[in-house]
Amino acid sequence: MAKIDCSLSVTSDILPGLDISSTMTLKKADSEVGIELTSGLVRRSFTSTNQVDLVTAGAQNYGTPTASKSAKVYIKNVGSDSTKHFKIGKGTSSGSAAATAMVGNATTYWELGRLYGGDWMLIPWDAATTTGDITIQPSSAEKMDVEFMVFFE
Amino acid sequence: MATTTAALTISSSDLVGDALSLSTSKELHKADTTIGVDQTTGYAKVYLTSVQPIDIFPVIQENGSDPAGGFEDKTHWIYVCNKSETPTEFVTITISSQVIGKLYAGDWMWMPWSQSLDTHAGNLHADIELTPSVATGMFVDFAMFHEGIQYPDVDGDNAA
Repeated sequence: MAKIDCSLSVTSDILPGLDISSTMTLKKADSEVGIELTSGLVRRSFTSTNQVDLVTAGAQNYGTPTASKSAKVYIKNVGSDSTKHFKIGKGTSSGSAAATAMVGNATTYWELGRLYGGDWMLIPWDAATTTGDITIQPSSAEKMDVEFMVFFE
Repeated sequence: MATTTAALTISSSDLVGDALSLSTSKELHKADTTIGVDQTTGYAKVYLTSVQPIDIFPVIQENGSDPAGGFEDKTHWIYVCNKSETPTEFVTITISSQVIGKLYAGDWMWMPWSQSLDTHAGNLHADIELTPSVATGMFVDFAMFHEGIQYPDVDGDNAA
């Protein structure tokens, strides 16, 4: 059993006492057993504004993330440009510069949020086949880089 | 200018052959700028005793309108943490009813959030929803840092 710790620290002067400090140990679903599998840290470069899959569910060369089990995904825009971002979504990608329309049901796509230069995110992942894919769309056709890492059981 | 910084450390001594250690840190900026976000919902701690889905971060924009300020293109960051200590108790996090994932006991999430509208006729919004797995009571914490959100107006039509 592996032990993976993820520690978050948010400090802010917007309000006094607003700081957040939280550590989680990644565990398998409904258990105290630690997650043991990972994609490793992956880096990808993009040179178009097409919306494509970044992290896909089902069989991969590093294993098979599935919806019924525990998974977490870390994603970071490793650029430094504050005016360029990646749109991160969940569902079906269009494969083109026109993003898949957002409809809140199980068969399509919804934009989660935007990662500007240096921004990162860590989310739980329901790795449902096809509809659970995590999509990405660069805001610029100039070279943009992203890193991601999947932890799963 | 306000300064809010989110830092992450991922570490493991036994996941892979050598020790894993990843650290990153980033100030939260308004969209397309280097100006710090300066608003927050504050930090909420709630005790939930139902398995009914609830909106913890709703999008108020109605009927495809894009009110002054264009909230969809502004920066929002959300934090949610399941404070349960029982391994079988989880909360399911969804966006407009589409499942993002499950937070098991002690799990937290940190992600940017786009206050998007449905581009079809369904008039669905990118509400962030939370559904506890049990009705026996679970503590959940959440917070949002942002550069602008819309609140419901008093007559309910949310028109200018």
